[in-house]
Amino acid sequence: MTPSGSEIVIVGGGITGLSLALELSRLGMRDIVIVERGYPGGGATGRNVARIRAMQLTEELCRVASACQAKYERMGSDLNFNVLFYRMGYAWILYEEDEVARMREIVAMHHRIGIRSRLLGPDDVLDMVPAFRGGDPVAGGVVHRDAIVHHDAVVWAHLAALSAAGVRLLDHTEVTGIETADDGVRGVITTHGRIATRMVVNATDAWSDSLNAMAGVEAPNRPYRREVLVTAPVAPFIDKAVTFYRPAEGWFNQTLRGEVVMGVVDPAEPAAHEQRSSWDFLGRTATLMARKAPALAELTVIRQWAGMYDVTPDHLPLVGPTAQLSGWWQANGWSGRGMLLAPYLAELLAQQIARGERPRDLDLFEPDRFEPGAADAGNGDYYARYAAR
Amino acid sequence: MTAFRLPAPLHPGAPVGNAIFITHDGRRVEARDTEPIAVSLLAAGIPVLSRSFRFHRPRGLMCSTGECGWCECRVDDRPGVRTCTLAAADGMEVRSEHSWPNARRDLFGMLDLGSRWVPNTFYHHRFLRPRAVRKLYLDVLRRFGGRGRLTAGGIGPIRPRPTVERTVDVAVVGGGPAGMLAALGAADAGAAVLLLESSDALGGSWRWRTSSPPIGESTGDLAARVHGDARIEILTNTTVLGRYGETLAALGADAHWRIDARAVVAATGSYERVPRVPNNDRPGVMGARTVEWLINAFGVVPGRRCAVLAGGIDAQRVSDLLRSTGAEVDDDLADLQDIAGRDRVHSVAIGGPNGRRRLRADLLVFDARSPNLDLAISAGAAIESQPTGDLGARLDPTGWTSVPGVAMVGACAGRSIEDSAAAAAAQETGRAAASATRVAPSFSDGTAPSVPWPAGVRSSQTAHGSAFVCFCEDVRGRELTDELGAGATDPEILKRRTAVLTGPCQGKYCLHSYAATINSNVEPGPGWALPTGRPPLRPVRLSELVRDGSHDADR
Repeated sequence: MTPSGSEIVIVGGGITGLSLALELSRLGMRDIVIVERGYPGGGATGRNVARIRAMQLTEELCRVASACQAKYERMGSDLNFNVLFYRMGYAWILYEEDEVARMREIVAMHHRIGIRSRLLGPDDVLDMVPAFRGGDPVAGGVVHRDAIVHHDAVVWAHLAALSAAGVRLLDHTEVTGIETADDGVRGVITTHGRIATRMVVNATDAWSDSLNAMAGVEAPNRPYRREVLVTAPVAPFIDKAVTFYRPAEGWFNQTLRGEVVMGVVDPAEPAAHEQRSSWDFLGRTATLMARKAPALAELTVIRQWAGMYDVTPDHLPLVGPTAQLSGWWQANGWSGRGMLLAPYLAELLAQQIARGERPRDLDLFEPDRFEPGAADAGNGDYYARYAAR
Repeated sequence: MTAFRLPAPLHPGAPVGNAIFITHDGRRVEARDTEPIAVSLLAAGIPVLSRSFRFHRPRGLMCSTGECGWCECRVDDRPGVRTCTLAAADGMEVRSEHSWPNARRDLFGMLDLGSRWVPNTFYHHRFLRPRAVRKLYLDVLRRFGGRGRLTAGGIGPIRPRPTVERTVDVAVVGGGPAGMLAALGAADAGAAVLLLESSDALGGSWRWRTSSPPIGESTGDLAARVHGDARIEILTNTTVLGRYGETLAALGADAHWRIDARAVVAATGSYERVPRVPNNDRPGVMGARTVEWLINAFGVVPGRRCAVLAGGIDAQRVSDLLRSTGAEVDDDLADLQDIAGRDRVHSVAIGGPNGRRRLRADLLVFDARSPNLDLAISAGAAIESQPTGDLGARLDPTGWTSVPGVAMVGACAGRSIEDSAAAAAAQETGRAAASATRVAPSFSDGTAPSVPWPAGVRSSQTAHGSAFVCFCEDVRGRELTDELGAGATDPEILKRRTAVLTGPCQGKYCLHSYAATINSNVEPGPGWALPTGRPPLRPVRLSELVRDGSHDADR
């Protein structure tokens, strides 16, 4: 049953909406509704590969990401549900000398702030990730004891806790309109009725532009498709979650069940709400992976899917209230890092919503920080941006 | 099973091979160079080829078409080879997967004993304490995953494939009788037709029949007519992997195909509907067409004491065929209740008015089949629950699905070519496809097509609690009903929690019983959708997807 009114309506039942609702309930809020147009976790939350990486490319993001990772490490005990947080380790694989030189500076930054990443030579890389043997010559690598989790388990752990906390989750319910007045938000119109409210959180990530448009709010977020393929399970073979950037951004890792997930990004992917899989992706990924990591060529692809990144000009999310409309809160624009960042930043955002004080750690994520008409960041790799600095 | 060889294959067109030797788990075995590996191993008295993913259950040859995956082995360092589709070659080293020390006596087979206490989500409620060894738990758990093994450095040269583009009026997917008839109908109406067949020749399930076909024309004559029609281009060894937007993508032996067709006619047949009783995955449980193929194409009879379940014309024909080989046959058996045996079928229990009786048998044959809806679902076609308890595509009288430009004929449309009327219908659908003008489907915002949940018909044929519903992930019927009872009723969440539909077969063997179980236990909720059909439609090796230079990722 759709309630006629609620203190706060969170639109989007992914990791952002679920974790925010949980944190709000922990701070004593009782009247919370989550509106989800499909099933909980059915968007990017159920489509990503749940790498929980503290090792980032900039200092400010590294600090936040470390706190986010710590939150995941506690999550099993916190929610009494094993989300399979597993420190398999993470490796950037480098192919060119300029990458090695740039990474040397980044590793120095890591060490300065207590992240114990390691720069490896080519032989160490091949020992640590034998999948690269026989492939394109490697110039080096950077490794850190980062983790993966089971994304569905994270959703189920939250659902169980939310159910115990009495939070209402309206699934298969789509928002079709936002009611506003001069003094701000008044209500949310859904396919199953209207909910009167003075506070709405836009936690729809790649659909944040559509929802913002309903409220007349402007933000520079753009949706970009990212594709994944998964293979039939094989015995443990790949002990690191791997990413490389040359000649195109590609990545793979092996799940605890033995499946290998992988993808190669198309830098020319246009901005669009697009969750269909493409044939081009299969060929692109197979061709590059066979060249880099020939062992993987004998894997059997059983399924492919697509999800979306909600990309902002600086690849950092919008977290907090906007000055454009009273009662309108952003928690979107995760730019591919929602699974990592959302649970911890939701905890901070909940403090601001419930207590009115904005934690310092949210400084990076001011929703109104962009000039109107800020440049679209595109689907190019993050590394290229940071390497160019 | 105690298989035996006849002096020669019964089908006049089947070649008689030369004796060669291969090994299975180190044991030297005589094989034939014209036979798939699994056939030679079966004939040599090796029914257990590998072990299953989760509980290390013995698995052997079942579907014979490369779909079920039960026969996967490691062949000359290549993991996950479906041995029913790869011909044996002298000196081949075949190893079982997921077993130690070998497939027959697998130490981890004991996992199966405790399997009923290990639902797929068990680890989410365990291994949290003590915290210090939490990672160690997962290190160990991880060792139980996976099946095949990779080799660092790869195992040999990869042959990149060029992409060939083709624009045609009608693409027919599947070269069985229905596909051939549809292709002839479309060509007769003036269309340029492309007929895609994944095996090396036309004929489908009719290819190795020896008795006269039910439509007054032999398979060979039908195939000859198709070959003789200048408007039909035939691509054998070419597997359709998906419909991506408007484009049909297919993997050929030497090329990747991108096909733009005004109309697509699916003639993709059906999958075995494995009896939903305990031990329904034992080596020796076989579809009737697999038995027919073994005897007619290779002269291998898979059992000496055969229990054949009551069914349709396939069951009758194969019972007669088995008898003609000298095997003992109990046929027309109704009400199968369980299957017993450790490494293979040993006996079956049959119910009846006079009580339950147990029959000794080394082979259990069934002919029930469920339509192949892979292409329909991935195209977003409306799906309905059928009175049989299976799902089926919603089709208009001509055979069109709800998606413009996509039609279905034959067994995948619930209309096997068993009489002249069905044959005429398939031909008529082909004819209609020739004049189709495709209307571009518009999915609202690029989201994958969503198929509303096919509610409605409740099935009395849900699985026995101990029967396997999903064979890729070893999911029993009980596991589904337990999750439904615990509140995981949304089809997507049930899928994710139990892992049905997520294994290598991607739902080919579990979709229908999964849907029937949901429909029989809960009322569908508003907005429910069938889990999205995700390409590729068949498992495909990464090396086969590698493109030649012109499409290199370096661009």
